[in-house]
Amino acid sequence: MTENSRSCFHCGEPVPSACDLSVEIEGQLEPVCCSGCEAVAKLILQSGQSRYYQFRTEKALKPAEEDADIEAAWGRYDERFSLWGSPLKNGRYELLLQVEGIRCAACAWLIRSQLEAREGIDQVQVDVATGFVRINWQPDKLKLSRVAAILAGVGYRPHLPLSGAEAMGRQHERRDALKRLGVAGLGMMQVMMYAAGLYAGDALGISEGPERFLQWISLIVTTPVLIYSGRVFYSSAWRSLSHRRVGMDVPVALAISIAFIMSCINFLTGNGHVYFDSVVMFIFFLSLGRYAELVIRHQNLQTGLALARLLPEWAELLRDGESEQVLAADLRITDQVRVRAGQTFPADGLLIRGSTEVDEALLTGESRPVEKHIGDVVIAGSINRTQTVEVEVSRDPDDFTVSVMGRMLLKSQTHRSRYTRLSERYAGWFVAIVLIVASLTALWWLNHDMAMLFPATLAVLVISCPCALSLATPAAIASSSRALLEQGVLLTRSAALEVLGSIDTIVFDKTGTLTSGSPSIVNTVVNPSREGFDADTVLRIAALLEVDSSHPVSRAFADITVDRDLVTGIVNHENGVEGRVGQDRFRLGNAAFTEVNVIDFSGGLGRLWLADETGWIARFDLDDGLRDSAIETMSALQERGLELIILSGDHEQAVASAAKRTGIKTWLSEQTPGMKMDYLESLQAEGKTVLMVGDGVNDAPVLSVANVSMTVSGASELANSTADFIMTGMSLINIKNILESGDMTRSVISQNLLWALTYNLLAVPFAAAGLIVPWMAALGMSLSSLLVVLNSGRLARRRVAKKPQIQPRLVTQ
Amino acid sequence: MSILYVLIPLAVMLLALAVWALLWAIKNGQFDDLETHGWSVVLDDDQKPPPMDDTEDKPNKEE
Repeated sequence: MTENSRSCFHCGEPVPSACDLSVEIEGQLEPVCCSGCEAVAKLILQSGQSRYYQFRTEKALKPAEEDADIEAAWGRYDERFSLWGSPLKNGRYELLLQVEGIRCAACAWLIRSQLEAREGIDQVQVDVATGFVRINWQPDKLKLSRVAAILAGVGYRPHLPLSGAEAMGRQHERRDALKRLGVAGLGMMQVMMYAAGLYAGDALGISEGPERFLQWISLIVTTPVLIYSGRVFYSSAWRSLSHRRVGMDVPVALAISIAFIMSCINFLTGNGHVYFDSVVMFIFFLSLGRYAELVIRHQNLQTGLALARLLPEWAELLRDGESEQVLAADLRITDQVRVRAGQTFPADGLLIRGSTEVDEALLTGESRPVEKHIGDVVIAGSINRTQTVEVEVSRDPDDFTVSVMGRMLLKSQTHRSRYTRLSERYAGWFVAIVLIVASLTALWWLNHDMAMLFPATLAVLVISCPCALSLATPAAIASSSRALLEQGVLLTRSAALEVLGSIDTIVFDKTGTLTSGSPSIVNTVVNPSREGFDADTVLRIAALLEVDSSHPVSRAFADITVDRDLVTGIVNHENGVEGRVGQDRFRLGNAAFTEVNVIDFSGGLGRLWLADETGWIARFDLDDGLRDSAIETMSALQERGLELIILSGDHEQAVASAAKRTGIKTWLSEQTPGMKMDYLESLQAEGKTVLMVGDGVNDAPVLSVANVSMTVSGASELANSTADFIMTGMSLINIKNILESGDMTRSVISQNLLWALTYNLLAVPFAAAGLIVPWMAALGMSLSSLLVVLNSGRLARRRVAKKPQIQPRLVTQ
Repeated sequence: MSILYVLIPLAVMLLALAVWALLWAIKNGQFDDLETHGWSVVLDDDQKPPPMDDTEDKPNKEE
């Protein structure tokens, strides 16, 4: 089951070389990476649940150190029965837990079989897609902390859901829609069966008794379906009418009513056809379309809400040198908290002691940990990977980056784009036209053939229902913004997605946008008079000397992997570092420190010299490092035929160097924000559509001038960003992804609109001519809406399939 | 064809029963998770986990 012999059998992470822990499964020893994984794996195997390993499709979550103490930690919840979930009968409660680490069906099975075997737990449901576990239990027989401990014991970390009420509300909404769909479906099957008898009777002859009887039964079955499942269309039509608008449910409600009332009249007077089958069929297909739309909408919301569950429940508050556990929600600005390795940061704050690596993958979509030093901003929800650190809380919970992201996401979902507004207004007109056409049809048949009056009018009303038309844009944008979020891009103004296609010029800021602001080595010069040193050797020696350094310059060497045992006796000085590699002593630092007898002229961020007792060995020229994938992104953008420009406030030399390295030909240096704005406006005056990419913090006014704006500030600055697209990751490749997803979204929208319009224009004349019977119209209309919803869903699915492993918790199936 | 007068009302009663069963099932969350139960066939519980109390629960804690 393991990919290679040294990856952990349980969680799949690499096993440290010093670790020789293992578990025995079916007589074979498999390595594990830590005692946490060992404990979990042993418990699973001892419980006879080794099948979990056989059937799982994803590796497990690595247990964190604090999981062992979870029972004590959750102990404080035992007496707060409001946290036990909603009360059921006989002292039972329904508890909803958000559980981390549920990745596949085997997880669900493992959790169910662990929990359901305990006394006090009646039933357990696990929702793999959302990570919710619903437990029917008796708190007097089993404590809440035990439930948490059992879950943690098999490697799943429980959380009390922050948005429990909302999750419940969404579940009720889904269940209600499913009930309406089910009732309509069952009713439809029955009524269509009777209709088959009636149609056969029309063709072959039927005596009056059975015919009346079949019509009776149809009426009896149709009425409750109409009342139960059709009610939503009436209430929605009424809502739009009371706002003096003609919504798309108006013709729906009208069609259902006409069909039902006319059928009743025909039935009572005993002549003419009944259309009960069309009524139920119409209701069923409409409910089906609405249900599909609801599921997609909930999945989109779920992606946003996944952010909220990242926050831990407790924090270790430091007060007068003592530490105590407090609820994370109670933290205030200037509180100081300790965050141990492996824990999640409970609040946004500044690092005040220690330095560590932080995993921001769930917020930014990047799997590589980010180094944080004293004074750096850490964000709630990111994971502290290596060292215990202390953090001073700098924001209130409402201003946490995750909260802001959640709000922006909700805002962008409610923010209606230009196309959406357009197609809504259009749908209003469309409905009016439909009603007019229907009346004209009725008038025509009234004067020509009374028998066709009713079926033709009904067919027009049903077939031209503008559902597909009004779904075309919002469905596509919702799917696309969800796909973007999974890649670490927040869409804050959905209209921007539509403008993307007309972009022909991209303007970049330099510092913090094209470059990362931290040093990298652009040039290595080896002293030609020294023998036995080449570029690789000197880089390795320098990296060894900087291996434990926290000086910003050391980040330039962070990419070179070295064995830290090779270096001894490191001494940090003010202007450099000195240490012993092998037998020789080396110094790395500025010219004065390394006693290099030159006048140090620094381009870029400066120079570093490597020297030993006999003199200098090598020189490293440092410059502002380019961001990840800057070069490939720029060439990809140029291939798309876009004009790239750098506008920077930096001095000429630095900008020229960045332009040369990224292959951008047009650049302007030493620009003030005012000059940048003027430049953008002059570009726009030439008829160009400009996309501006900045860091979003100090160039906000410039960004607002551009037609579309993006920021690459990284997650910690997110709250200050004001752009249409906010890239929470540090890689520039997302610019290309955003442009591509804009292309795809626009093509899906135009497919949708084209389809909806063509279908309506083609079908209405046939319906008016009486060539389409009402049930065919119902089928056609519904299939058309369904097609639009499914076509839009394609946007989200394609992206999810591309990147599933990197952000397991943000992916919804 | 007079048998229809018996059979169809019977079918309608069955329909009512089916609707009731469906609503009951939805209300009890039978349709909330359509994914994992397919696996229960291959993941059968022929071995129940041993009963555990607080002291036995973390057998490896001392390690």
